[in-house]
Amino acid sequence: MLVAPVKALAFLLGLSAAAHAAVVTYNWNITYVNTNPDGLMDRRVIGINGQFPPPAINVTLNDTLVINVVNQISEPTTLHAHGLFQTGNNQMDGPSMVTQCPIPPGSNFTYTIPIQQYGTYWIHGHNKGHYVDGLRAPFIIHNPAEVYHYDEEYTLGFADWYHDEHAVLLDEYLSIFNPSGAEPVPKSALINQMLNTQYSFEPGKVYRLRIINMSALAMFHIHIDGHDMDIIEVDGVDVTRTSVKTFPISAAQRYSVLVTARNTTSNNFLIHGDMDPEMFDTVPDTLQMNITGTIIYDATSPLAPTELIDWGEFDDAALLTPVIPMATSPADDQISLTASFQVMDDYINKATFNDITYVAPKVPTLYTAVSMGNLSSDPQVYGTYSHPWVLKHNSWVEIIINNNDAGNHPFHLHGHVFQVVGRGEGVYDGSTPYTYFNTTNPLRRDTVLVRSLQNVAIRFQANNPGVWFLHCHIEWHLQAGLATTIVEAPEAMAGILTVDQTHFDHCKALGLPSSGNAAGNQGLDLTGQNVGPNLLPGKFTTKGIVALFFTVLSAVVGLGTVVWYAQDEELVLGKEDRR
Amino acid sequence: MGSLFSAPIFFIMFRETTEAAIIVSVLLSFVKQVIVDDPALLRRLKWHIWIGVLVGLAISLIIGGTFIALWKSLAKNVFQSSEELWEGTFALIACIMITIMSLAMLKSQEVQEKWRGKLGQAMRDADEKRSLSNLTGKYALLLLPMITVLREGLEAMIFIGGVTFDAEGKSIPLAVIVGLIAGALVGFIIYRGGSRIALHRFFVASTCLLLLIAAGLFAKSIHAYQMDKWGKIVGGDADDAGTYDPRGNVWALNYGDPNQPNNGGWAFFNSILGWNNIASVGTITGYCVYWLVVILSIVFMKLKANRARAAAANQHTYASEKDVEMK
Repeated sequence: MLVAPVKALAFLLGLSAAAHAAVVTYNWNITYVNTNPDGLMDRRVIGINGQFPPPAINVTLNDTLVINVVNQISEPTTLHAHGLFQTGNNQMDGPSMVTQCPIPPGSNFTYTIPIQQYGTYWIHGHNKGHYVDGLRAPFIIHNPAEVYHYDEEYTLGFADWYHDEHAVLLDEYLSIFNPSGAEPVPKSALINQMLNTQYSFEPGKVYRLRIINMSALAMFHIHIDGHDMDIIEVDGVDVTRTSVKTFPISAAQRYSVLVTARNTTSNNFLIHGDMDPEMFDTVPDTLQMNITGTIIYDATSPLAPTELIDWGEFDDAALLTPVIPMATSPADDQISLTASFQVMDDYINKATFNDITYVAPKVPTLYTAVSMGNLSSDPQVYGTYSHPWVLKHNSWVEIIINNNDAGNHPFHLHGHVFQVVGRGEGVYDGSTPYTYFNTTNPLRRDTVLVRSLQNVAIRFQANNPGVWFLHCHIEWHLQAGLATTIVEAPEAMAGILTVDQTHFDHCKALGLPSSGNAAGNQGLDLTGQNVGPNLLPGKFTTKGIVALFFTVLSAVVGLGTVVWYAQDEELVLGKEDRR
Repeated sequence: MGSLFSAPIFFIMFRETTEAAIIVSVLLSFVKQVIVDDPALLRRLKWHIWIGVLVGLAISLIIGGTFIALWKSLAKNVFQSSEELWEGTFALIACIMITIMSLAMLKSQEVQEKWRGKLGQAMRDADEKRSLSNLTGKYALLLLPMITVLREGLEAMIFIGGVTFDAEGKSIPLAVIVGLIAGALVGFIIYRGGSRIALHRFFVASTCLLLLIAAGLFAKSIHAYQMDKWGKIVGGDADDAGTYDPRGNVWALNYGDPNQPNNGGWAFFNSILGWNNIASVGTITGYCVYWLVVILSIVFMKLKANRARAAAANQHTYASEKDVEMK
C-alpha cells in the first residue's frame, strides 16, 4: 500500500516548500529484478536499487532535482522526465541518440533538472523500450500554492503488462512475418505496477487522484463506482473543475481528479481501469481487460457492486479549459505531418511521417546542433532519416498531425505543452482553410490523441532552444519509426545549453562519434549516415523485367512449337489430299 | 459506383463465364468439325457437352448458393483459410485436363479418322469390359465441361460472396445476368467464328489459346499454394491485406492487381494469361517449366508421328510389293 509514505511526504513537502527551494537527490542504480507483478508469470524486470516497482519521484516547484544514475543492466539506457520543459536544459531530456548517447552498462550519469513547473508527470527509460520492462515511475511536482483545495492525494499509474521481455516481443513485431504490423497484445494490466492497490478514504474529505497512463500500448477508461470525478489537471496544466463519470486516458497522458468521499463508511468501492479493446489486434478470451484498486472506507465493509458504465464520447479539447488563460497566436510556420504504416522495402511493416521512417543518426542530434556552428540551421546536417524540422527562435509554430492509419495514436512533443487548436476529419491537404476551434483559451497538454483517419492542429512557441523529439507514445510505433525531430532555435543553443564531458565520454565508450553531422562527418557530407528502409517501389525492377522476359519467351516458343507441329500437318494433309 | 449495376460483379461473372464459354465452345466446335458424317453421334456428343455444362452449372449453383447463404449468416471469413488451397487444387486439375485435351486435339489432325472411329466405338460398346481409359475417353466430353463450369461457377460464387459484403443487394442481379450473357456471347462468337476459319487454323489458334490459359492456371495454382502457406505463417488475412512472401518475390506492383474489384482489364489478363501483380520465383519458374514440358511433349509427339508415318509408308510399299508378287 502506498498510502502512508505518500501522505507523509506530501505533508513534509508542504512544510518545506514554504521555506526554501531544495536540492532533492535520488540515487538510482538501474538494476534487473526477478518478480511476478501480475501474479501470472515470474519474469525479469528493470527496477531501481534492486526494488520493483521503482519508487515515485516527489519534488516541489522551484526545487532542483538531481538523479544520480548508475546503469547496472546489460544494455545502454537513459531516463526521460516526461512532460518536463527542461528549459535551457535540453541535454538532460533523455531520449537516446536525440539529446544524448545512452549510458553504457556500468557507467554513471547525473540528471540535474531545475523544477520550474508543477503537476503530475512520470519518468521512464527512453532507450529500446526499457520502460515497458518496468523502468517507469510517477514524477509528482507539488505546488506550495495549489489552485484547488484537497485533503489528501494518491497517485495511480495505470499500465499494460507483458510477460516476455520487450526485446523478444520487438523481434516478433518488427518481422517480415508480421506484415500487418499487429502490436503484441499485453497479458494483463496493473496499477503502479502492482495488483490490489488500496486507497483509504474518510467521509467528508476531498481527495486528489493523480492518474497516469504509463502503458506501452493500452488506453484505459477510468471510472469509480459510487463516485464522480472532477478533472482539475491535464498533463500538468490546471483546468477548470469539470465533472465526469468516466474518461479515457491514452499512453503517457495524465489527469488529476478530485473525488469527494461519501458520507458513510458502509461500503468500499472499486476504482476501475478498463483497457480499450480497439487498441489490440486481437483480444484473447484469457486476457483480463480490467484492473481495479479499492477505496477503503472501512476494512470490514462489503464491496459495492461494479456499475455498468457507458464510455461514451470524450473530447478533451472541447471539454476542458486551462485555469491560466493563454490565447492562441497566429502561426509563423506550419508543419504538416501525415502518419501511416506500410511494409517497406526491407519487407517489415514500419511507421512513417510523410513517407519517412525515423532512424536514429550516428551522432545524437543535439550534439550535431552544438558542434556545427552556422550549419546548425541547415536541416541537412541532421540526416535524412532523423526527419528534422528547424524552427526559428521565438517563432510560433503550428503542426497539423494527420493520422492516416486505422489505429488511434497519442502523439507527444518533448520540451513543451502545446495548444490544441483544432481537430478535423481525414488528411488535411491545404486546399481549403483549416477550421480551428473558436476559443481564446484552448486546452494545453503534451500528449494528444489523434483518432484513426482524423487530424489535429497544435500550436506552440519555439521559445525553448533544444532538440525535442516528437513521436507516437505507443512504444511499438516509436520503435517502428513514428517519430520526427524538432530542432528548435539552434542559433541560440550555444549561448544557453551546456553539454558536459560525461555526455561525450559515453558516446566514445559506445564507439559512437559525439560531434559533426548525422554521419559524424564535417560539413554537409553525409556519406555513411544511418539509412532506413524506403517505400516499396511498386513497379518492375530489373529482376522483374528479366522474369517477365523469360515468361514471354517461354510462351512465344511454346506457341511457336504448336504452330511448327501444325505446320507440318498442313503439308501432310495437303499430300494426303493429293493422293 | 452505379447503384443498380455492380461493375466488379459484372467483371467477375464476365470473366468466369468467358473462361468457361471458351472451353465449352471449343469443345463444341471440335466435335462439330470432327464428326462430319455421323449426325447421331454428333448430337450425342453435343448433348454430352451441354449436359456437362448444365450439371456443372447446377452443382455450382447449389453448392455456391448454399455457400453464399451460409456465408451471409455466419458473417465470418471461415473460408478464407482454405480458400487458397481449394483454388490452387482446382486450378491445377483444370490445367492438367486442358493441357492433355489441347495436345490431344493437336494430334487429332493427323488421326481424325481414328478419333472419329474411337469415339463412335466407345459410344457403341456400352457392354464391353470397361477399362478406366475407355470410360474417361467416353465421357471426356461430359467431364471436362462439367468440371470447367463447376470450377468457374464456384470461383464466381466465392468471389461474389466476398464482394457482396460491400455491394448493395440491388446492384447484383443485373450485373450477374449481363456478365453471364456477355461471357456466353464471347464463347458463341468463337464457336461461330470457327466455321469460317480454315479448319486447321482454327484448331491451332484454339489450342494456342487453351495452352496459354492452362499455363496461366499452372502459375495461378502455384501462387494459390504459396499464398496459402504464407497466410498460415502470417496468420490469416494474407490475401485481404495484399501481403506476400517477400522471400523469393520477383515483382510486386502497385497496379495490375486482378483481385481488385475495379480492375476488370487486369482480371481479364489473369484469366487468359495467368497475370498477377505479384510474382515469385515459384510462379515464374512454374510458368516457364510448364511451357518447357509442353514443348518437349510436342516435339516428342512429332518424333513419334514421324516414326509412325515412316513405318506406315514401309508397310504400304511392302504390301504393294506383295501385291505385285502375288499377281
